[in-house]
Amino acid sequence: MPEKINVINMIELSINKLNELDFADYVIETQRSNRSQLRFADNQFTVAKNWASTILGVFAVKESRTVATQIEDLSAETINSSIESLAKLAGSLPKNENYMGISDGPFSYPNIEHLADPDFLEFHDKSIDNVESAIRAAEEEGAKRSAGVLLWDVTERNLRSSHGALVKSNSTSFEFSIRSFVDEKSSGSGVAVGRLSSKLNFEKAGRDAGKIAKMSVGGINGEPGKYNVILSPKVAGDIIAATPAAANPFNVEIGLSWLKDKIGEKIGPDLVTVYDDALLPNGLGSRVCDDEGHPTGRNMIVENGILKGFIHNTSTAKKVGTTSTGNAGLVFPQNSNIFFEPGDQSFEELLEISKDKPTLYITNNWYTRFTSYVDGVFSTIPRDGMFLVENGEIKQPVRELRITDTMLNIFKNIKAMSKENIQIKTWEVPQPVFIPYVLVEDVNLTAATS
Amino acid sequence: MTGELYDLVEKAIEEGNKLDAKYIEARLVKTSLNMSILKNGVPELGGIFRTNGIGIRVLKNGGLGFASFNEMTKDEMKIAVAFATKMAEATGKKRRKRIVFSDEEVHEAEYKSIGANGKRPMEVDTEEKILRLIGLDKILTELQTGAIIPYRFFQMIDQTEEKYLLTNEGAKIKSEIDLIQLFGLAVAVNPNTGSKEQLMIQKGKAGGLEAFDFWKIEEYIEKEVKTLGKIVTEAKEAPKGVIDYIVGPNVIGIMCHENQGHPSEGDRILGREGAQAGESYLTKEMIGERIGSENVTIIDDSTLEGSYGFYLYDDEGVKAKPRYLLKKGIFKNILHNRESAAFMETSSTAAARAIGYNREPIPRMANTYLEPGDFSFEEMIEDVKLGVLMQNFTEWNIDDRRYQSKYVGLEAYLIENGEIKHLVRRPNIETTTPKLWGSVDAVAKRDLLEFDAATCGKGDPMQGAPVYHGGSFMRIRNVEVR
Repeated sequence: MPEKINVINMIELSINKLNELDFADYVIETQRSNRSQLRFADNQFTVAKNWASTILGVFAVKESRTVATQIEDLSAETINSSIESLAKLAGSLPKNENYMGISDGPFSYPNIEHLADPDFLEFHDKSIDNVESAIRAAEEEGAKRSAGVLLWDVTERNLRSSHGALVKSNSTSFEFSIRSFVDEKSSGSGVAVGRLSSKLNFEKAGRDAGKIAKMSVGGINGEPGKYNVILSPKVAGDIIAATPAAANPFNVEIGLSWLKDKIGEKIGPDLVTVYDDALLPNGLGSRVCDDEGHPTGRNMIVENGILKGFIHNTSTAKKVGTTSTGNAGLVFPQNSNIFFEPGDQSFEELLEISKDKPTLYITNNWYTRFTSYVDGVFSTIPRDGMFLVENGEIKQPVRELRITDTMLNIFKNIKAMSKENIQIKTWEVPQPVFIPYVLVEDVNLTAATS
Repeated sequence: MTGELYDLVEKAIEEGNKLDAKYIEARLVKTSLNMSILKNGVPELGGIFRTNGIGIRVLKNGGLGFASFNEMTKDEMKIAVAFATKMAEATGKKRRKRIVFSDEEVHEAEYKSIGANGKRPMEVDTEEKILRLIGLDKILTELQTGAIIPYRFFQMIDQTEEKYLLTNEGAKIKSEIDLIQLFGLAVAVNPNTGSKEQLMIQKGKAGGLEAFDFWKIEEYIEKEVKTLGKIVTEAKEAPKGVIDYIVGPNVIGIMCHENQGHPSEGDRILGREGAQAGESYLTKEMIGERIGSENVTIIDDSTLEGSYGFYLYDDEGVKAKPRYLLKKGIFKNILHNRESAAFMETSSTAAARAIGYNREPIPRMANTYLEPGDFSFEEMIEDVKLGVLMQNFTEWNIDDRRYQSKYVGLEAYLIENGEIKHLVRRPNIETTTPKLWGSVDAVAKRDLLEFDAATCGKGDPMQGAPVYHGGSFMRIRNVEVR
């Protein structure tokens, strides 16, 4: 049977092999994690899962040929042979003219609060009770059945680079989402996520889901047309946060972004300021360094509605004469936490603002797809409770509508944001986002013709 | 895979039996995957990915537990089996209704679907692969289309997956499958008007690098790019009102997948995916009900040789065969794994798939298509007064009960009085599933049947499963377009 291999030995083994094979630049990262999940449907647990995983990742460069490997087959033999294969691969590739180096140390790394939960080990025994408390809360609000998932994870990350990075960090994460039903068409959802279990309110998530499900009973088919829409943080985390997430040079270059040549332009109203912030306490995207070992930070993407800059790794930054923002991914820049500065109104005030115009409150959505990324032409489908707002109050539930618009229109037409700033990471919104309720004017809603 | 690893799988079954698991399966999966990325003609990355791990699933006391590990030691195996068993018990005792698996015939089998000699993923030199991609990129930059293509991206993945499945009921399945996948993105821009259109390319097949020749990939890219150029320079506004649509294999395929495949999945119907991919407008009581017209027969068949969704035994060891989802418009079958089948007091339809050692097997599609009919293409067109021929699609989406769907055309032409006219821009079908299938009055012959590859997303954590979908051509009457 293969012997268990220590992660530090894996890193040393990799460094020796990379040096022996004359790789000039490299980053080696190990992630050892233990992740558990409880899934439930119809108020019952459907499966309990656990993943014990150790992964070794290597990004390496030889004469401007960029190669990478990720190994979950963790024998010394596989590590050596994979790195030998990398050398062979590098030898057969043309030069990557976009590559301009990795971040050069020495580095000083930030101290991020609440990255790891000291009570993680105790959480396992509370997991079933926590889920059951959410299911009960949803039932108390009128839900007949609930489905959802609780995921909890602990990860130890070690990173070394040829340019002085030496990092070890531990983190935990907790992600809970629940979707409750009164009948097959009347549903609501709730979410609670973070890095500290004490910050998650399972009961509230269940209560939110149950309450919206109950309110959705008796929904009628909505009429297509232009509406003002109040987007919950879950919906805003998808279609409002999509614009700062598109401030990524890799996506711009391959036609997956609508922000080409827009730096310095006014793309939203004055009230919108957005950061990519890797330092947020309790943020699921928070981390001390990026995939090059460069220290992370807080970078402004949108300031008072003006697009200020993109996130960068070393190569994309040098290409445009700037410096890395500490957002390197293995291949392309990646966001940490997208953070929206909250507004100064309550949710109830958002309902009031829009009372003279046809208004919808949309609590959840899914299946966002693009006809054209470069123009931001998209549609997405509201799921769960969606309501007409009349005279500042949530009234008639409606169904069967689709948002069909452009990302730039939607961002430009933001009218107000609430004071609450809620962390979202869900099945539909995999990118961690901190975002309030958002009121957007003149959004186009379409419907099926029969 | 080595004998030591097979031993570890066998030991896992013994360990589960010692812990009184009613059912235990151990699935060893070893994957060797290569990836090449080309961005705007520049080789951005060559990647090598190697995985090797075991997934354990246990049924005990009416509960289900799953655990996986990739440090291949006895200790890790014992921890995984113990966790899966303990959690199956702990959650099972909380259930109102116990989870059971349907009784199925037990098989021992071994099968392969691998690339041609010298063309297997690990046999072909990377240089050959990257040069082929660079050649594709050159077609995009050098072909005269009237448009420029400033945004280009290609990713090629080739892999070999070896699998060994063992259960305490005696199932023993070994398989080895090569897969090749090409993904591309190109955005054409009209230099005069700034008008833009995007093309997403996805090709996939079981087998090796011979797939590129099978696809006639250079010819295919050339044709698609020429059309893309024409769309941004020549296409006119699409008609509105009540019109007919004739849709091609690419559009039929996605419709079969989204409007009929997904809602036929047993776990969705039971609500097990309720918080993620959603539920279904179908129920088991609707089996035998009419959903579409007589002309609509939709089949899901994992046994198609060389297909992207190919397998002969599913990840619970159940032998696969073609499944009729709709037969002449009637709802016939649900895509079941053993869990959903038992809940509905029927047998598995061999739809259990897991995309890696670290995922549980859940009901999935494989290769879903509309059975061809007996119309020629010309016959379908000739009595359309006003309509659109939609060859392929760009944007699409559907609600999570799979009822209200939208498809936006990419290459699409006006049809007037039985004749195909000019290109039209972004025609759109936004309709419900019963209305869609109920309005099909003609389906073209088998010689026009084609498949496209796709990656189907479902599960939590996400499981992107390779699938085919396809058809020939079908005519949809009286679609209201606003």
